[in-house]
This record gives sequence, C-alpha cells and structure tokens, in this order.
Amino acid sequence: MKPSVPITPLLLLFFCCGCKAALADDVPVKVESGWLQAVPPVAEATAAYMRIRNLSQSLLKLTGAFSSIAPEIELMITTRHLHDGQEIMGMERVDTLEIPPGGVLELKPGGNHLMIMGLTSHPKEGERVKLTVQFAPGDQRLDVEIPVFKQEPK
Amino acid sequence: MSEILSEHQKNPIPIGSPPAVTRRMFVAAIALGLALLVSFLFTRYFAYRTVQENFYGQALVPAKAAFDFHLVDQDGKPFHLSQMRGKTVLFSFGFTHCPNVCPTTLSDLAKVYQALPAEDRRKVQVLFVSVDPHRDKPETLKNYVPYFNDSFIGLTGNEAQLTEAAKAYGAYFEIVHDAGTNPEVYSVNHSALTYLISPDGKWKLLYNLDQLSDSKKMVQDIEQVLTGA
Repeated sequence: MKPSVPITPLLLLFFCCGCKAALADDVPVKVESGWLQAVPPVAEATAAYMRIRNLSQSLLKLTGAFSSIAPEIELMITTRHLHDGQEIMGMERVDTLEIPPGGVLELKPGGNHLMIMGLTSHPKEGERVKLTVQFAPGDQRLDVEIPVFKQEPK
Repeated sequence: MSEILSEHQKNPIPIGSPPAVTRRMFVAAIALGLALLVSFLFTRYFAYRTVQENFYGQALVPAKAAFDFHLVDQDGKPFHLSQMRGKTVLFSFGFTHCPNVCPTTLSDLAKVYQALPAEDRRKVQVLFVSVDPHRDKPETLKNYVPYFNDSFIGLTGNEAQLTEAAKAYGAYFEIVHDAGTNPEVYSVNHSALTYLISPDGKWKLLYNLDQLSDSKKMVQDIEQVLTGA
C-alpha cells in the first residue's frame, strides 16, 4: 500500500539540499538550500543564503531575521550598475523582500542576501546555525537551521 | 582592332630565346607569388591561433601592460605587482566588512585554485586589494585573506595608492554611509571584477562575479594563459 504522503520526494529533498528543509505548519513557506558563508574571526560581517518558497496563495514578505551569532541581520539587495564599462556592485538595505504566491525568493551569493553584521561568534565550516526568519503579514516566524560552508555548495 | 593585330604580327616574339629581362621578371613573379602565399598562410595561421585563444573571461584586445601598483602586503611589506612576473595573477578589489561579494569572490577563487593541477598552483597567485584602508590594516588582511586559501595575499595602501591602482584598472569604489547611523558604519560600493594578469605582465582578462563560480572554465583559461606565456 502506498503511503498517502509522497515520502520519496521528501526524502530526496531532505538529502539533496544538504540542509534541513524546514516545513512549518504555521508559516506556509519551505526553506531550502540554506547556508551561511564561513568567515574568519577577524571578519565582522557575513551573509546567509537560502531559497524560500511561498506555499500559499497569497503574497508573503520576508521582513527580517535574527540569530544568536550577531546582533544585526539585515535584508540586502545587490545593486549593479555600469561605470565606465565596468560593473559596480553595491548593496542596499530593504525592509521587505516579496515572495509571490507559489513563488520563490532566492537569496544567493552576488544577489539578495541576509547580511549578518557585528558577528559575535564565527561558526566554522561543518557547524550549523539557527536563524529565526520573520514574515509578514503579521509576525510569522520560522526557525531554520542552516549549515556553514567556506565555499558555496554546488 | 585589326590595326593592333597587324602591329603584333609585325613584331612576333622570338621563340626559344626569350630576352633576359622577361626571364628575370618571371623569376621575380614566382618569388613574389611565393612570398604572397607564405604571408597568406602566416596570416591564416595567426588568425587560427587567435580563434584558438578562446577565453571564457572577457579578453582585452590587445592585452595592456598591467599597471604596476605599489602597495603594502598583509605583512606590512612593500608590494609591487611586477614582483609577480612569471606567475599568472588573479586579483580583485574589495574590503573585509563586505558580507557578500568579497567572501564569494575569494571562496570561488579558492575553489578555482584547488581545481588547478598541483604543479600549476605555484605559477598562480591570487591577490585581494582592500580599498578600505581605514578599517583594513595589513594584520586584518593577514587574518582574512589567507583564510580562504593559505597562498592568497591581501594588499592595501594609502588612499592615493589605492585610487591610482583602481583607476588604472577602471575599478571604482565609493564609501556609502547609511543615513543617521554611526560614521564608523559604512559600506563600500565597488566594482566586483577579477583581473587576470599573464606571467609576462599583461592585463589579459576580466571576470565578473558570476563567472568565477565555474571553476572548470576558469581553470581552462588559466591553463591557456600559462601555456601561452
């Protein structure tokens, strides 16, 4: 008899992503491929990356995150413009990042990211870090645990 | 028309013994023909070579002499780019407070470096030039840059030296203060490019951030530059 929940795809997802896919009952999102960029103790900032899928039929907004590793986590978008033919990259802090119904918000190196400022601890490669991610409408919170890598996992 | 024909008949070319002038002209024509053929083949060969030099990075045609920046390395010692002659150099501008672009650049370059055959690694040097001398001291860089790979070297300098170096490579950076916050809290907008300098000191290639993540293609370019030098 086949189980009512498709176990195999879920298991695959679980193992392929290299991170725990967070499936919360209360927040209609799925966080996958999350990771934190490992940086040396001298560094004050780093970034966290992940894909956040909106499983609901209405617009969701990522509004922030917090973690015990740093006092400040901000949502950043990466801006790109040309200056004398060369691409200049900058960052801009934003209050929210939208996730359309059924859509995916991708936070990735060189793109939008969660900027982690004023690191009080420097997780090493192989460790895992807990983050609480916040969403609107309302104050929906989701705890995720992401692995730490020195290089982007591919 | 008929007149011309009759002229010709009046002065027929003597058969069997062409005049010496005609023979010399014939030899000259053959020589010229051969010279043309040889030069044509050479041109084709070089055109072929150029096509063969098919880089993944954006090629500077023709390659420029790389500006010899004079900076300070992570041990506080003077560093001239020309010291690297004989090696292929990959470098970028950045700063250690940069959460996204700079760790991504360095970790991608570390991946590329590791993907190189061991014997080629000694012929490649990765440099990271901090354009934030106010916060990044040589010792800061010493604790930051080699973290990504032991062999990587962090550089910095005074503002004039850094401005000169950045300008020479068309790089750009600006300090951005977030309104209403501590003046020590600022970000740097900067060109996120990686520059490749060939072992003979030519600025040959340019990579944008997204390109760095394809280690295989990066390695192919580096190998091509190493064999071409």
